[in-house]
Amino acid sequence: MEITTLDLKDFYYYEQWQSLVEKEGLVIENLDDITETLGIYEDDELIATGSYFENVLKYLAIEPDYQGGAVFNKLVSTLINELATQNIFHVFVFTKPQYKQSFEYLGFQIVAETSVSSLLETGDYSIDQYIAGLPKVAGKNISAIVMNANPFTLGHRYLVEQAAKASDYVYLFVVNQDASLFTTEERMDLIKQGTSDLENVKVVSGGQYMVSFVTFPSYFIKSRADIATYQTQLDAQVFKRVAKVLHITKRFVGSEPYSPTTEIYNQSLAKVLPPEVSLEVLDRQAVDQDIISATKVRSAIQNNDLTDVEKYVPETTFKFIKTNLPTLLRRIHDGN
Amino acid sequence: MERLRRTMMFVPGNNPAMIKDAGIYGADSIMFDLEDSVSLTEKDTARMMVFEALQNVDYGNSELVVRINGLDTEMGRADIFAMVKAGVQVIRLPKTETPDDVVETEKVIAEAEKFFGIENGRTHMMAAIESAGGVLNAPAIAKASDRLIGIALGAEDYVTMMKTRRYPDGAELSFARNMILHGARAAGIAAFDTVYSDVDNTEGFNHEVEIIHELGFDGKSVINPRQIPLVNAIYAPTDKEIRNAKDVLHAIEEAHKKGSGVISLRGKMVDKPVVARAERTMALAKASHLVDEEGNIYAK
Amino acid sequence: MEIKHTALAGTLESSDIQFTLSKGTGVEINLDSQVEKQFGNQIRKVITDLLADYGIENVNVRAVDKGALDCTIKARLIAAIQRATDTQNQPNWEVLG
Repeated sequence: MEITTLDLKDFYYYEQWQSLVEKEGLVIENLDDITETLGIYEDDELIATGSYFENVLKYLAIEPDYQGGAVFNKLVSTLINELATQNIFHVFVFTKPQYKQSFEYLGFQIVAETSVSSLLETGDYSIDQYIAGLPKVAGKNISAIVMNANPFTLGHRYLVEQAAKASDYVYLFVVNQDASLFTTEERMDLIKQGTSDLENVKVVSGGQYMVSFVTFPSYFIKSRADIATYQTQLDAQVFKRVAKVLHITKRFVGSEPYSPTTEIYNQSLAKVLPPEVSLEVLDRQAVDQDIISATKVRSAIQNNDLTDVEKYVPETTFKFIKTNLPTLLRRIHDGN
Repeated sequence: MERLRRTMMFVPGNNPAMIKDAGIYGADSIMFDLEDSVSLTEKDTARMMVFEALQNVDYGNSELVVRINGLDTEMGRADIFAMVKAGVQVIRLPKTETPDDVVETEKVIAEAEKFFGIENGRTHMMAAIESAGGVLNAPAIAKASDRLIGIALGAEDYVTMMKTRRYPDGAELSFARNMILHGARAAGIAAFDTVYSDVDNTEGFNHEVEIIHELGFDGKSVINPRQIPLVNAIYAPTDKEIRNAKDVLHAIEEAHKKGSGVISLRGKMVDKPVVARAERTMALAKASHLVDEEGNIYAK
Repeated sequence: MEIKHTALAGTLESSDIQFTLSKGTGVEINLDSQVEKQFGNQIRKVITDLLADYGIENVNVRAVDKGALDCTIKARLIAAIQRATDTQNQPNWEVLG
């Protein structure tokens, strides 16, 4: 048994890999979402493979004759060791429920699960540690908002204000994702500045748990139509786990006239969160009947149109954009 | 008397399951590997695995050897110190090119023995020869240190360098095997043959063992426990060889009783190499369970 | 001795044990073992003794055991400690003695 890196750009290896992965019932999506792929060979036959993207294990597949034990353990172990050499120690895997136990046997712990998928993690960090690190507040009426805020607009501000008025405390979870034009740190700072007058708002990092769903792997779900639902279900389970410890009973979201995916997401949340957490959907704010969105702010930046930017954002965000305009334009130019 | 070294079993240094069980297969020598079978990122943890195993696992009468990383790597020195400290019997030097490689390694071993307050010279060495230059230097390498118990052919790198590959008839290794064997014999140390990596090909393996047995090698490197009984079967002496050896040893006893310095058997002088061969034959017969402790052949 | 950064050693294969050491307050051991009932306390003792030998007082230890012998537990933990303290090629002979 020999373990090796597979170069999927080489058609010879790609074909072997594809055949094994498809035999496992996985759907190959985008190879850009793979950092590295390992293969285990027995003589000249590829008998197992696994990949990772950042700290998420993906596309694990094993020949039926070799399933149930040593080969799986070797594969997962080697992937974890490989990540460790890159100083990545906290590792996630999304998998079908029937493989949940195999991962648990290797020390993985459940983050959240639904009837069709399980999210597990292992390593030097866990959702329990994440929750333990969050500030705790006491109140009858604790609510939450999860936002990316790329960047923080007057629309976001309105949502937070309404939640703050209706609650004893509001947890504002900031999605941790550096694929945005504004870095996580910048988004966090702008949210904090833009809500500093609201004393009952706690701005906290969403860590790796309050994620945006671009990264959710849907390759093990065959029916493309159901993906959004499955994503939401799993996300809602993660949220509920956090909400339970923090006594959060309500989640606020903005309506999404422009984004059908987010609209589906909101609809699913409304089904999945109750009864533990209720969902309140607020209409998006408009300026002169022009609905505010972060997308519009980013286009205005791209067009170098500060007057337009100013219409949509609070003063704090505007000041930041004005000062950092060259940097932001360069990021857009470089493809962020 | 010199110990038997029919089989030297390779055990990857980063594999706890194999390290744990290495003692149960009856290999004459066990070689724990810190070098080629261990990936660069696992060198440190393999070193500690072997370090702990050498001190805590019971390997019976097997000779314990560790293949270290060369001194030209950042691991080499730490490997030597750890293995000397763990009390390994033999340190195997990989990719030996010149007698100087042996001398340099010996210096570090001696330094480690001194550092740990261990008797100077307790740690033995062997040198693996894996290149054209190394083969040509085999006789000098074999004499480079009193610590050397043997030299070994490592054929994988060698055949690549020679622009060939392994063939069933072994012609590609004929010169190297003879050089190493002559180097070893001239220095009075053991000669080990290379591994045979096609574990499932019993016929090919047996053929190769027959070749090296005929040439006079002490033994073969094995990568799978299944290969051990195959080697032992080929190295087992025949009944006729055992009877002859018994006669020789009997003649020595008789000569001692008579206080005679001259040993003769059936009217012929028995000289030193014949005595040594007889002793080796009896040792092989005992190890192959062909005779009892007294040297009597078991009834078939 | 201080843990400088998170480090991992060992594998999840049979007869092995995988350690992940990270910065912590006090010694916290999170052990996952199929033989927890029979050997859990013994494994913990091997770990705490060795950490004490190295003078490590603040560390989170995550251990996933797959039936490792005591000597394997020690070897993997030593390797993890060396990695977490950047001393892979400078073994501490006083402890290893």
